[in-house]
Amino acid sequence: MPQRRVGLWLAVLTGVALIVCAASLLFGAGAVGPVASLDTLMRTLSGRVADDNAWFAIESLRAPRTVIGVLVGAALAVAGALLQAVTRNPLAEPGLLGVSGGATFAVAIAIALGADAATLRVPVAQLGALAGCLAVLAASRVRGAGDDPVRLVLAGAVLSGLLYALTSLVLLFDERTADEIRFWVVGSFAGRRPADVIALLPGLAVAALMVIGIARPLAALALGEHVASGLGHRPRLVRLLVVVAVALLVGSATAIAGPIAFIGLVAPFVARALVGPDVRATLWLCLPIGAALTLGADVVSRLVVRPSELPLGVLTALIGAPVLVAVVRSRRLPTL
Amino acid sequence: MSFFNGRRSALGVIAMLVLAVFACPAQAARALDTAYGKVEIDGSPERVVTLYEGALDAAVALGTKPVAAVATRGGNSVANYTQARVPGIAIVGTARESNIEAVVAQRPDVILASSNLSEPQYRLLSKIAPTVVPKNAAFGPDAWQNETRLFARALDREDKAAQLIAAFDKRAEQISAQVPADTEATLARWMPQGPLVMSSKIFGGRVLAAAGFETADHDDIADDRPHSDPLSLENLDRIDSDWLFLATLNDDGESALAKARTSPAFERLSVVQRDHVVPVDGQLWTSASGPLAADAILDDIARALGIAARP
Repeated sequence: MPQRRVGLWLAVLTGVALIVCAASLLFGAGAVGPVASLDTLMRTLSGRVADDNAWFAIESLRAPRTVIGVLVGAALAVAGALLQAVTRNPLAEPGLLGVSGGATFAVAIAIALGADAATLRVPVAQLGALAGCLAVLAASRVRGAGDDPVRLVLAGAVLSGLLYALTSLVLLFDERTADEIRFWVVGSFAGRRPADVIALLPGLAVAALMVIGIARPLAALALGEHVASGLGHRPRLVRLLVVVAVALLVGSATAIAGPIAFIGLVAPFVARALVGPDVRATLWLCLPIGAALTLGADVVSRLVVRPSELPLGVLTALIGAPVLVAVVRSRRLPTL
Repeated sequence: MSFFNGRRSALGVIAMLVLAVFACPAQAARALDTAYGKVEIDGSPERVVTLYEGALDAAVALGTKPVAAVATRGGNSVANYTQARVPGIAIVGTARESNIEAVVAQRPDVILASSNLSEPQYRLLSKIAPTVVPKNAAFGPDAWQNETRLFARALDREDKAAQLIAAFDKRAEQISAQVPADTEATLARWMPQGPLVMSSKIFGGRVLAAAGFETADHDDIADDRPHSDPLSLENLDRIDSDWLFLATLNDDGESALAKARTSPAFERLSVVQRDHVVPVDGQLWTSASGPLAADAILDDIARALGIAARP
C-alpha cells in the first residue's frame, strides 16, 4: 500500500472526525439548538457577549463529552485493531470477546464494595480487561479455535455471557448500588467530570507508547511466527505487550463510558477496507474512524429521544451488528 | 337434676336465639369489590400477608401486625419508615415479584396486593388465601385513601380507616394554610443517568398537593407512568421550581443531593441557588403509599418549610 494513499485517507478521515466534533458541540438534547450554539460559539471566540445558558451547555456539558467520545472511540478502535492482528481474526473485538465484560465485572464489584471515585475505577477496569484478554488468548490457543474466527467469537461470547451473568449476580446481592451499575453497564458519556477524563490520560499515554513500539513487530507477526522470529522479533513478548496495551485501552474506555460494543469491530473493518490489512496503516486510520463513529453515535443518541437521551451502548450495537453480520457472511473471512 | 331444670334450658334457648340474631350479621362474610371481582372475607383475619408497600403501610396503620411483606424498591427489607413498627417481619419477595412458596409458608388468612398484580399471579395467590387487589390504578385521585378503605374492609377495621383519613385531611389542611399561594414543588429522583421527574399523580405528588403546593404536571410523563425518562443534563431546568424535593431510589436523600451537586448543571438551577432543595427518603416519597407514609411526608414538608409539625 503506497504511503501516500494512507496519508490521504488519514487526512480525509481526520477531517470527518473534526466535523463530527463540531456537530457534537452544536447539537444537544436541550433547548440550545445548532444555530444558537454556532452563534454563541462565534461570539465567545471573537470575545463578544454571548448567551450565558448556551455557552454553559456548550462548554460544560458538550465539550467534555466530545473529548471523552474522541478518546474512547480512538482507544476502542485501536484496541480492536491490535486484538485482531494478534489473534489473526477479523472478528476479535473487545466487546465480543469478553475484554469489556472483564472490565465491567471488575468495576461492578468495585462499585458494590463501595468505590465511587472515578480515579479508582480506571485501574480496576484495566485489571478486569487484562483478565478478559488473557482468557481470550488462552481460548485462541486451544487447538482449532485459533484458526477458526467464528469459533473464537463463540468462545468469547461464552466468556462474555459468563461475565455479564456474574455482574448481574453482583447486582442481585446489592440492590442499593444496582442502579448505578445498571446505568453504567449500558454506556454513556453524559455527566462526566473533567477530573474523570484526566484520570484516563496516564493509561492512554502508556498504551500509545506501547502501540508505537509494537506496530512493526506486530506487522511481522502477521506473516507468521517463523518469519517474525527470523526477522529478530519475539512473538511471545509481542503478544504479551499487545495484551497489556489492549487492557489499558479497553479498561480506560470502559471505566469512563461503560462497555461500548462494536466500535473495535467496525473501525478496523472500515480501515482495512480502505487501505488493506497492514496493521501499521490500519492503526493510524483507526484513530479518526473510531473517534468519528463513537462521537457520531453519541450525537445521534442525544437527538432521537429528546428531552431524554438514548444509552450510547444501544446505538453502537445498532450500527455494529449489521457490520458483524456482513463480516461473517462475506464469502471468505479475510485472514490477517 | 338441677342442671336440666326446665326453666334454665328455656333461658338457654332464648339466649342462643338472641346470640344468633345479633351475632350472625357480624359473622357474615364481607364482600369486597376488587380488581378481580367479588372477594368474600370472614371475621378479622389474623395472619395478614402484604405484597405491596401501600398494603403494608395501611395494615400497620390500621393496627394489625402483618406476618410478611415484600422488600421496598432498591432495598433488602421493608422501607425504613415502617421498619421499627414491624420488627422481624418475613420478606416474601420484591416489589417486582413475590415468592409464592414463601407466601404459602406463611399460611396467610388474607393477602393484600397491589393494583397491578397480574391475573396469573392472582389466580395462584387466591388459591392460598382470599387476595385483595385494589380496583383502581395507583395513579388516580384519592388512590391511597381508597386503597386504605378497601384494605380496612378486608381487615374488618373500616372505622379506623375513616379516622386515619380524616386525621390526614385535617393535618394537611393545617399545613397548607401556612404554604403561600402558588408555591410550586417538584419531586425528582436523582439517578446516575440524570434526574427523573416524578409524576404529580403518584402518591408523593398527591401528598404535596394536599399540603398546599402547586404540582403542575410534566408534559413528558405519560398518564400511566410514575415518572419521566431520565432527563438530559441539558434539560435540567425542567426540575427548577419554588421547591425541589430530591430523592434517590433508596433512602439516602443526602447522598442524592451530594451527587447532584457535583454536576455544574444542577448548581445553576435557581432552586439550588435559593437553597430550596430538600433531600428526601426515596423509599418514602417515591415508592411507598398509605396513611403512615402520608403522615411521614407531611413531617418532612413541615420540617423543610420550618413550620410546626403538628399545628
